[in-house]
Amino acid sequence: MITKQDVELAGKLAKMTVSEQEAAIYEEQLRALFGWVKELSAVNTDNVQLSNATLAAHVRKDQAVTDEQAAANLRAMFAEQLAGQAKVKKVL
Amino acid sequence: MTISQIITAITSGTKTAEEITRYYLAQIADKNPQINAFVEVFEADAIAQAKAIDAKKARGEKLGSLAGVPVGIKDNILYKGHKATCCSKMLENYTAAYTSTVVKKLLEQDAVIIGRTNMDEFAMGSSNQTSAWGVVHNPADMTRVPGGSSGGSAAAVAAGMVPVALGTDTGGSVRQPAGFCGVVGVKPGYGRISRYGVIAFASSADQVGVLAENVTDASLVMEVISGKDAQDSTSLEAPVPHYTQHFTADLKGVKVGVPKGFLDGLNPAIKKQTQKAAEQLKELGAELIEVDIPLAKYSAPCYYIITSAEASSNLGRYDGIRYGYTAKDANGLADYYEKSRARFGLEVKKRIIIGTYALTSERYEECFLKALKVRELIREDFKKAFTQVDVILTPTSPTTAFKIGEAEENPLSLYLADLCTCQGNIGGLAGISVPFGKDENGLPIGVQFYGPILQEEKILNAAYHLEKVAK
Repeated sequence: MITKQDVELAGKLAKMTVSEQEAAIYEEQLRALFGWVKELSAVNTDNVQLSNATLAAHVRKDQAVTDEQAAANLRAMFAEQLAGQAKVKKVL
Repeated sequence: MTISQIITAITSGTKTAEEITRYYLAQIADKNPQINAFVEVFEADAIAQAKAIDAKKARGEKLGSLAGVPVGIKDNILYKGHKATCCSKMLENYTAAYTSTVVKKLLEQDAVIIGRTNMDEFAMGSSNQTSAWGVVHNPADMTRVPGGSSGGSAAAVAAGMVPVALGTDTGGSVRQPAGFCGVVGVKPGYGRISRYGVIAFASSADQVGVLAENVTDASLVMEVISGKDAQDSTSLEAPVPHYTQHFTADLKGVKVGVPKGFLDGLNPAIKKQTQKAAEQLKELGAELIEVDIPLAKYSAPCYYIITSAEASSNLGRYDGIRYGYTAKDANGLADYYEKSRARFGLEVKKRIIIGTYALTSERYEECFLKALKVRELIREDFKKAFTQVDVILTPTSPTTAFKIGEAEENPLSLYLADLCTCQGNIGGLAGISVPFGKDENGLPIGVQFYGPILQEEKILNAAYHLEKVAK
């Protein structure tokens, strides 16, 4: 069952503001749509090979991956740092 | 005027290209305020192009195969120096930096690009009601939609504002409006026409198509714009036939597939006309063969998952930095993206959300991957069917044109408007809608032929014969 939180999360992942009013509309409409999509589960796809096997490599991560060590290594390359930020040369 | 009449008039000297262009500009000026099919008319450019064609003729130079033929282009097809907005406020001020291959090919054959036509925002819709620049009215009944998403192109041709127009078809967006407006609409098989310079919606389904007054005109334009393009790696390397030379004297020996149960649940008038079309084809010599495409009924849910997932990726570029509207009051980068992308209309945002949700790791297997696998099976079903038959006959859509504003509360019913056409995009097939009679309200009915990839000549020939008996 799709919830308003699912709609808000998808909006966040898509980097797009979704208003309260829009979220309410989408929640109802997506529930109907994904209910319809569930009909696909009636089709047996056990032995189906995709024409493009590389598609499986394109799964979108639900949240940004953060690697603190990688960030620290990058910051260490700069002479000046402040509040976890590296200072770069002024260009403007 | 048909394309052949225009070319004959220009080559024989009874009309100049400028006179022809001015005639169509006058038609647009007269009808567009009521119909809203064009979002911009390239008046000065079109007249300059027409004058250049007349000058070419005066110098005794050979004219192109579409010399002096005015063409409307859907607002998602790039023409350098001209706006291309996808009828979205997101691209309100976008001017094309280069020319699409299809427009380049038309210009090389001396066609006149007369303006850009209205469409559903980013081609997402089947009624042209999601356009940021206003709804298009169906010339057959001004209270009704023209279909979509190429509703502007279909209405422009139907109203005689232009003899031919380009559209794009991701789930039926050329064929369904053609059926609603009573014109011919061709979607080639996947890879037949270059998409270089066509703004992407769903890359595994998008195709450029042609809307015209008749099958011959559509075929003449198809000949010009089809073919391999080095700029589009999905375009196929295969010779382009002279489609009109494949028109046969009758349909003897042609096997027409009639899908099992294909008329179940249809509007009675559409059911009657499609049955009548099958009878007419038989009278013309065709052999009718029942074919079983059991999984075709799953095309629509597959279509909405796959195309929305692809759209969520393709439309990621509209972030206010690379492309699109730039938010003025943002505080920080995340806020900047979110506010800029909020410029999309309600339907586009919804499709992005559907696609993003279907691609989340929790939903990927049960939604996106499942839809891809079912698509493979549907393609196999069609492949098997085409070992038995040359073309497949279906209705173009389950209903005739509905009232403006109708079905807005129930978007699922709008999605069902693509039921008969999205099978062609899921299968990668060639498809054509040809007008065949009217319903009890005088609204046009379209019937559709499907054909295998790279065999557009088969559907054009079948449609050519059906068009003759319909007239």
